[in-house]
Amino acid sequence: MKNRLRILRAERSWSQADLAQRLEVSRQSVNAIETGKFDPSLPLAFKLARLFNTSIETIFSDEE
Amino acid sequence: MLCDPGSKAGRRYLYRLIPMSVVYVAVVYLSKWSFRHFHPTGLVVYLLAILPALPMVGSLAIVGLYVAEETDEFERSILVRSILWGLAAALAISSIWGTLEDFAQAPHLSSFLSYLSFWIVMAISGVIIRLRYR
Repeated sequence: MKNRLRILRAERSWSQADLAQRLEVSRQSVNAIETGKFDPSLPLAFKLARLFNTSIETIFSDEE
Repeated sequence: MLCDPGSKAGRRYLYRLIPMSVVYVAVVYLSKWSFRHFHPTGLVVYLLAILPALPMVGSLAIVGLYVAEETDEFERSILVRSILWGLAAALAISSIWGTLEDFAQAPHLSSFLSYLSFWIVMAISGVIIRLRYR
């Protein structure tokens, strides 16, 4: 699943560790989601959307 | 590393597993020492023999607690997959060796080795799975 996490993160000058801390997950988790290797659950996707003040569809797209 | 030591659940896992491993080593020595010096008989033999297995079962419960307590779904998924690999390997090894013993007169191996193979394969697969996400 493609996502815009890296862009959204860069807009806020957050490192992966910063985002991980805000999400209360490991940096490896953020990296795995960002690189599209791990699809987050719906609760985590909602958490990301709230954190970036946007919708889930804005962050994730189901294109391969 | 099988768990994420940075998470609360990961730290709890290590705080539980390390003392349990120490208890295991102590109980193994205690059992061996008791058998060597007291030559127990009857029910005591069974009690002393089963004593080292209790921390082993406890360590499995600790892994289960970590799975239940880890809130980081990515870390949890890595551990669960490692556990599945460990279980599959333990079952496969014991099944294959069991049939070799039954039909090919292979030497008898302790079923304790299933437990050992579970942990070894779980640890190795945990590292390999984690490498895939680098």
